[in-house]
Amino acid sequence: MSRSLRWGIGLLLIAGLLLGAFFFLPFRSWLPGGTVANIATREVVNGTLFNRLFPKPQTGELLVFTQEKRGFSQARLKQGAEVRALLSISDVASSPASRNKFIHTEERLQSWPLVDQGSQASALLVADRFQVKVIGQGSGLDAQQRHELLGAFDLAALAALSPEAVQAPAIAPGRQALPPGRQSPLRFPFPGLKRQAPQARIPQPAANRKPSIFNRANAALEPAA
Amino acid sequence: MSATVLERLERLPRRNLTVLALKGVSTLVPGGWQNQTNPEELISDVLGSDDPELVQQVRARADELSRARHEGYRRALSLYDAVNRSQKAAGGLRVLANVAGALPLVKRLAVLTPASQTLQAVDLSLKVAAEMLAFTQVNGLPGDSFAAFGDSLREYTGEARVRMAALVCFDALLPLGDNALHRLDGLLGQVGSRELHQLPSYAGMASLLPGRGDAAHLSFVRRGVDQWLGWADGFVGDLGLSGQRAVRALETTIGPWHGGMEQLATFLDAFTDTYSHTGVQAVARRLVERAAAEI
Repeated sequence: MSRSLRWGIGLLLIAGLLLGAFFFLPFRSWLPGGTVANIATREVVNGTLFNRLFPKPQTGELLVFTQEKRGFSQARLKQGAEVRALLSISDVASSPASRNKFIHTEERLQSWPLVDQGSQASALLVADRFQVKVIGQGSGLDAQQRHELLGAFDLAALAALSPEAVQAPAIAPGRQALPPGRQSPLRFPFPGLKRQAPQARIPQPAANRKPSIFNRANAALEPAA
Repeated sequence: MSATVLERLERLPRRNLTVLALKGVSTLVPGGWQNQTNPEELISDVLGSDDPELVQQVRARADELSRARHEGYRRALSLYDAVNRSQKAAGGLRVLANVAGALPLVKRLAVLTPASQTLQAVDLSLKVAAEMLAFTQVNGLPGDSFAAFGDSLREYTGEARVRMAALVCFDALLPLGDNALHRLDGLLGQVGSRELHQLPSYAGMASLLPGRGDAAHLSFVRRGVDQWLGWADGFVGDLGLSGQRAVRALETTIGPWHGGMEQLATFLDAFTDTYSHTGVQAVARRLVERAAAEI
């Protein structure tokens, strides 16, 4: 066997092993494409937090939770054995396109934009971040019943879940960081600096402001309500 | 890249032995069963509207969701596939053994093929475990929520009920007899890791079962089966299921059967894939319900 042939076979073996390792060993989870729209799971609000915000079932009704994923939670509203509606809350971080349908709507429910999709679905966009949806099943629900169901969700608590609301201001208002070089060394125990408990800021919808991806930056600059 | 869930749904057969067997079993279950293989129809059924633009949006979203590995919809399908492949392999072996038993030279081979009741019990319980794991993958609950699985069985409706009826009839009542459910626990008690390794589906599922080692897997399977048994007892009682009734129901669609029940079970194992057929339909429905809520 010639020297070059041996080298060739050796290199082929190594290449084969590397390719095999890449395709057959469980490296897949490290590659992109594992999550919806390639958004890291920690940037999406966990569906567990949504469950307690669903409407309380009335007498004769039953709420059965069917799916609970990162950024999504769904339940069936049943009356006896019949499924009346699918109720769901989803985080639109992983589906930005779903925001577009709310841009042109004038309808409001508790001042959040409301849209009807087809004859059996109604959707509400809360805090420009969460989509609440009711889809009528079986014999169906009319628009009025669907809107009532949407209103029965705990929308204020849902708005408070939005990361913008949870985030505490990085620097206490009124204190600005000096540029590097002009800062004086800090002395312990930080005279004059009182730690403030981070306050939850619930974004309130402005009636005249249409929610869109672009004015989210402005919303962050607005003074705390 | 393998096919998305809705593509798999499209490729399901519209009329073959599997569909006929399921149609036969569905006569035992009130509410019946429809062989849903059209994604667009499924979407407009869930959405309550057949606006083509909305249907298209839901379809695109569903494909995106099923391509994301973290969401688990495709993993649920691979569980059903693993179980189905092993069922066909084991069924095929037993059919071969039946045929070979009639030939003088190869008669001794027939003795070697595993067809004992213990193995059948393990096969059934692995299917139940697969059902439970797929349930946790699709619903996003932690992998060992036994009680949640038991509760959700009561919520099974439509095709899921037919799917469970098929499981009870084809894998419990026909091969193990009418008191299969009461004997199952005893049969599982005799199972060791040797029996477990004789089943090809175990090899396919071992990496997906929680815990390390055969003992941990076996105890997981038994806990899952305990939950399932509690429900299946009531299910069989409510519907009055029995091996005889199952055979009669199957005869309405497949045709007259002159062999024994055990042979019918073997035949169904080898030539139908009811479990993955209904599995694809159930996962597709859940996926569409989510996609419709997210568009």
